[in-house]
Amino acid sequence: MFNRDTWLEIAHTVLSHPLRTALTGISIALGVFILVVMQGLGFGLQNGVKAQFADDAVNSVWVKAGTTQLAYKGNQANRRIIMRQNDVDALYNEMDTIYASTRRIRMWGISMEYGKKAGSFPIRGVDPDHQELENTKLISGRYISEHDVEVGTKVAVLGQTIIDELYNGEDPVGTQILMNGILFTVVGAFNDPASRWENNMAYTPYSTAKKLFRSGRDQVDQIILGTGDMPIPATMTLTDRLQSWFKDRKSVHPEDQRGIWFDNNNEEYKRYQDIFVGIELFIWGLGFLTLLAGAVGVANILAIAVKERTKEIGVRKALGASSMSVVGLVVQEALSLMIVSGSLGLVIGVGILEIVSPMIDHEYFKNPQVDFRIALIALGVLVVVGVASGIGPALRAVRIKPVEALRDE
Amino acid sequence: MTGGQELKVLKGLDCHIKEGEMVAIMGSSGSGKSTMLNILGLLDSFDEGEYLLAGNSMDRLTENSAAKYRSKFLGFVFQSFNLINFKSAQENVALPLYYQGVPRKERNKIALEYLKKVGLLDWADHLPNQLSGGQKQRVAIARALVAKPKVILADEPTGALDSKTSEEVMKLLREINSEGITMVIVTHESDIAELCDRTIHLRDGQIVD
Repeated sequence: MFNRDTWLEIAHTVLSHPLRTALTGISIALGVFILVVMQGLGFGLQNGVKAQFADDAVNSVWVKAGTTQLAYKGNQANRRIIMRQNDVDALYNEMDTIYASTRRIRMWGISMEYGKKAGSFPIRGVDPDHQELENTKLISGRYISEHDVEVGTKVAVLGQTIIDELYNGEDPVGTQILMNGILFTVVGAFNDPASRWENNMAYTPYSTAKKLFRSGRDQVDQIILGTGDMPIPATMTLTDRLQSWFKDRKSVHPEDQRGIWFDNNNEEYKRYQDIFVGIELFIWGLGFLTLLAGAVGVANILAIAVKERTKEIGVRKALGASSMSVVGLVVQEALSLMIVSGSLGLVIGVGILEIVSPMIDHEYFKNPQVDFRIALIALGVLVVVGVASGIGPALRAVRIKPVEALRDE
Repeated sequence: MTGGQELKVLKGLDCHIKEGEMVAIMGSSGSGKSTMLNILGLLDSFDEGEYLLAGNSMDRLTENSAAKYRSKFLGFVFQSFNLINFKSAQENVALPLYYQGVPRKERNKIALEYLKKVGLLDWADHLPNQLSGGQKQRVAIARALVAKPKVILADEPTGALDSKTSEEVMKLLREINSEGITMVIVTHESDIAELCDRTIHLRDGQIVD
């Protein structure tokens, strides 16, 4: 059925109506183009937001103290809230189950020396659970242990950036590094490609950092609580409950948005996922509708073409054309029109995304590419739609009786 | 033939056209001559009676077997030529061979031979609208001949032509007939009918003598 002659026939009939062919082709190509570009943009958004979350464990609640906005219980506004160790203990006490938890403090500009090289980097003092909650991937050695925090050992886990700048390709694990003139043993190394920021850090035990870099001052910058496999609604209730409890404890107005911060990653992630489902449905819906519009256009044009060619089809039948060959003529014409212009739209769409993609690197927008699977689905849909749009007009063509077609007006 | 009312167009026709004969069917409009030609050409079906083409019964054919018989036995020439207007003379002539599955090169070669036969070799690449009426009809005759039919059915082949061109076309049909191809010509012009071996007169769907 698909030999050279058939293609020449189709090329001939299609090209003998250049305007009609061009208009139909453009509408199909545009439909596919829109589908592809929308898919690409959707993916870009999704990739961007996913990259944002890849940094931290999704199932966690982040607690921070800030500055009050509202006066409350005899306190002026603009009061700085400080989380103390007893607040942390009380908070842990308030929870029924603690899946994971860490305190953390950060110090800027700690000078670090190894061998002849030196640099200035930030340090975090953390608990062991910080590894899980910050999603830290060790490349060698071990993380801060319970024992380290209890005893206050002088150990450090170094980020990739520090290693690159001070170690010259050497494995840092087991070496001694000077931090603000104090000798630390490097026990581990990590690299977090998702977060270049964390790679600047050296992690040390919370107790050690507090004692050596904060002169033992009792102030916890941040607490991260893991919520384990707790369902999302439960984490939301928990967060609300802890927040009002904590605000009450620190005499912060219940409506104050800045005094105490509670960020529930679960909630945020869920919200984004809901948005993605929405966006994806929207994009597919839109894509299918544009393709459908294209298909209706093709069916319409073929119907007109068949009507116009009634006489010609009659002649072909008189000259020995079988019903199959008439169906083939119409359906293959629809199919080739669909596939050629659809592929054109596909190629242009993918091409534009390929060109534009490297230029866009926004926080929430990364790699707006269409994967091969989507392209294949789009082509498959085109084939199905092409055949479907050809079938009606083809059947009409088959029903043409040569005798009626050839009757002279 | 269609519709709720039964309409008998042809009644009690009984005739035999011999192989190699050149027959004219004459009659005024409405006499049923076109219907008869359509039935002979397997373009239309019949409800009663019997039609034998080269010894085969043509009763209740499917679309596809009718198409097969048409392409094997029959060639058509129409009053309004019915050339496909976006195909060149050569491609028009080659079309029946396409439906018989003849390869492209061979088909084009044969088409050229037949164009030469009707004296239009130099017009092979012309589109129908670049040809005169007489030339168009000669292309149509070449197309009817190309599949080596046993019978050529011509519906008013000179109806759209002036008398000089008509004469030339009739001469061509006569030549073809002399090569052994049966010729059935529907016409309402008696001087055309006179150029045939025999004339069948139709009136109100019946043969009169």
